[in-house]
Amino acid sequence: MYELAKKALKLAEKAGAEEAEVYYVSNHSTSVDFKKDALESAKDRRSEGIGIRAIVNGAVGFASTNSAEDLENTIRIAVSSAKVRESDPDWVGLPSNGKYPEVSGIFDKKIEAMDLEDCIGHALELVEGTKEYSGVLPTSGGFTRAKGRHLILNTNGIEIEEESSAVSGFVDVITLEGEPSTAYDYEVSRKLDIDFRIIGKNASELALKSQNGISVEPGKAEVILHPFAFSDIIEAAFAPSLDADNVQKGRSGLVGKIGEELAVPELSIYDDGLIEGGIETSASDDEGVPSQRTPVLEKGVLKTYLYDSYTAGKAGIKSTGNASRGSYTAPPAVGLRNFIVEFPQSNLIEETASGFFVTNVIGAHTANSISGDFSVEARNAFTIKDGALDKPIKSLMISGNAFELLKNITGAGRDIRKVGGFITPSIRVSDMSVIG
Amino acid sequence: MKEIKEKIDFYDCRVIEGSSTSIILDNGKIEEISRNYGKGAGIRALCGGSWGYTTVEGELDLEKGIQAASKLASSMNANTPKEKVELSAVTPPEIKNLPEVRLDPRNVPIEEKVRLLKDLEIHAKVEGVHSTKVLYSESEFKLEYRSSEGVECAYDFLNCGFAVSAVASEGGLYQAGRESRFAYGYELFKTENVLELAENAGKTAVALLKAKSPKGGTMPIVLDQELAGVFAHEAVGHASEGDLVLEGDSILANRIGEQIASPLVTIIDDPTLHEFGYYPFDAEGVESSRTEIIRDGVFESYLHSRETAAKLGGTPGNARAQGYSMPIVRMSNTFIDNGDAGFEEMLEEVKDGMYLIGSRGGQVNTGEGIFQFNAEKGYLIENGELTELVRDVSLSGKTLEILNHVCLVGNDLKLTAGRCGKGGQLVPVSDGAPHIAISKALVGGA
Repeated sequence: MYELAKKALKLAEKAGAEEAEVYYVSNHSTSVDFKKDALESAKDRRSEGIGIRAIVNGAVGFASTNSAEDLENTIRIAVSSAKVRESDPDWVGLPSNGKYPEVSGIFDKKIEAMDLEDCIGHALELVEGTKEYSGVLPTSGGFTRAKGRHLILNTNGIEIEEESSAVSGFVDVITLEGEPSTAYDYEVSRKLDIDFRIIGKNASELALKSQNGISVEPGKAEVILHPFAFSDIIEAAFAPSLDADNVQKGRSGLVGKIGEELAVPELSIYDDGLIEGGIETSASDDEGVPSQRTPVLEKGVLKTYLYDSYTAGKAGIKSTGNASRGSYTAPPAVGLRNFIVEFPQSNLIEETASGFFVTNVIGAHTANSISGDFSVEARNAFTIKDGALDKPIKSLMISGNAFELLKNITGAGRDIRKVGGFITPSIRVSDMSVIG
Repeated sequence: MKEIKEKIDFYDCRVIEGSSTSIILDNGKIEEISRNYGKGAGIRALCGGSWGYTTVEGELDLEKGIQAASKLASSMNANTPKEKVELSAVTPPEIKNLPEVRLDPRNVPIEEKVRLLKDLEIHAKVEGVHSTKVLYSESEFKLEYRSSEGVECAYDFLNCGFAVSAVASEGGLYQAGRESRFAYGYELFKTENVLELAENAGKTAVALLKAKSPKGGTMPIVLDQELAGVFAHEAVGHASEGDLVLEGDSILANRIGEQIASPLVTIIDDPTLHEFGYYPFDAEGVESSRTEIIRDGVFESYLHSRETAAKLGGTPGNARAQGYSMPIVRMSNTFIDNGDAGFEEMLEEVKDGMYLIGSRGGQVNTGEGIFQFNAEKGYLIENGELTELVRDVSLSGKTLEILNHVCLVGNDLKLTAGRCGKGGQLVPVSDGAPHIAISKALVGGA
């Protein structure tokens, strides 16, 4: 299908498109999964497809296919869908003039060259890691390596092709004695630089530490959110309000707040498509706009929303390079790149007299993405007493508002961690509602 | 080719060809018309205790795919041999009772669908609503299954539906109301009062602006059909999935025959019902059938694939997959069965507590048996009467405790369509219940 991509652009013009875009992607992944401590399956997945955007009279039609035979039909459908729509006065045009920055660390040939035995080896390392402690067993987990290639072409001269790779490992564990306690850990990287044993070991250690949880009194407290918990809450309850599309449609809690002091002055957040080896790093976004580093919050002040070329055109400004597609089967929409949280770091737990430490949360996706309200169940949570983790907590709900939370940050740990595209330390927040 | 196939114990293929169309109307304007076509296959091979799985897309060469899966399975088995996997026996399914489509959505011109969306939008935009989104979607596919045991079967499938969301705002406060319906044919839009549903979404959003966040705490509650259904699915259904039980990740492991719930509680999974989770045979070619998970409070059965059924003893038929992904144990249409209590009776029983309505999603830890979900909205129950509307309410607790605290079960069972995610795969499901009253639960608020 790769060869057909260029032809598709011409076919779209012939079918009546004034502008057209072809997004081609192919992926190949291999994973080895385990159930309990035995390897269960090996999976080899290949996918390939083309998504077509056709523009007629300022209206966009979209269609996609994974079949070369169906391509001409797909192009016709994209064009005829565009014709059904009224002209969109906010449509400016597909991106043009792509001059791309060099990005590095996103493709590792060693990952592409791995064979099944290598994959089996890393899956076994995950399992072995969990066994560094007794009294705990993995329930499931796995290792995956993936290689992808994409090509973006449009009738305004955009042509960008890129290859990328990734490896990841995850493991879920459960304790065996007494009331069960679970934990998980995972890591993903564009390079083969992960110690898979440590992932297994961390999960086991956390599950064991979480055993025999106590109940706590409800109230307001200082809570330290591990990078897992913090990124989950921010992604669900804050990030959607940065999406320019939500802002323009009145579905954001940040409408009219550019230039306002949104957070404590020590906090800065960057959306960055360029950092070395980032999970969301790429020379361009998913419609061919060059990637950039965008200050979102600087010293607590909201600097910008995040734009793709359509929302930028509507606002009369330049795209921030945030067009994102989950797959070739969908047109682009605004999405985060690497999302970097910066705050002066210190020995956070040691400096906390009393409070709670929360490793994970469940239910973050149920947050109100407009108002920022969230109410989540904290997992692998601990009390903090006199500067140290004290006792595990059996069940803890934390609730609050993401916008308030940014104003109540009182510290960050030295434990910066990549959680997918999120790069953040543990964050301490004051005045959080907890219900035990 | 021949050699590698001889080494393996079993293989099967699912070939799926289909397309989906969606139209999104955002704030009265068409935002997207898109269509996706796909053809592909998922192929499994079993060698000893190891599975090999391959997916291929586009132009298919099934023999090559079977060979690749077989190779994966046999090298896995050679590298890390383990106990042989047995599969429970199957008979070829009889395909009957496919849902009838009275009005084929493919014969409805796209212009008419756009008009429908615009009508829905107008109805959702009641006074106070400042933003709306309406989605229409339609999908059709053909699924063919065949296995090395000689089972060959196929069916064609079609469904369509809509979802509407309305957002109201006031003084920096935002609240949303949502409604959606799915069915097998376009007659959905003639038989259901979809315009009224759209209007309800708008009214909910506006009403929630005035609602207060209640004080959280432990109290007696009433759950509406949707939220009680989410509880049945999330907290009980997942924990009864045979694969999680085998992984040691279920609170319900080794509890068959035990009284785990109030005797008022019966929970059923039934893929033969013409609800959103319907299928005639599962992803292993097993004819679908009804399972009583809990009968009168006694835990009766897990949900099974052929592998888990062979290991744990039980009936297969709940293996499902999203697209070309590897099948895993899943639910279909899962519900708490009708009891005989009336709604007023429940309010009187609860006296002072909360009525929780609808769901904004939830999650469960099946291993520890704890769950959390957020209601769309709620009402305070004071002195046996519904009083103030409240928002931002969530429910959390221990599955087994809640099951035992069910004190009344209503007689107004209703199922709601949704999608369930597990192992990175989404499949269509429905879940439901009648209204139920629970004597004690942890409600989270502001």
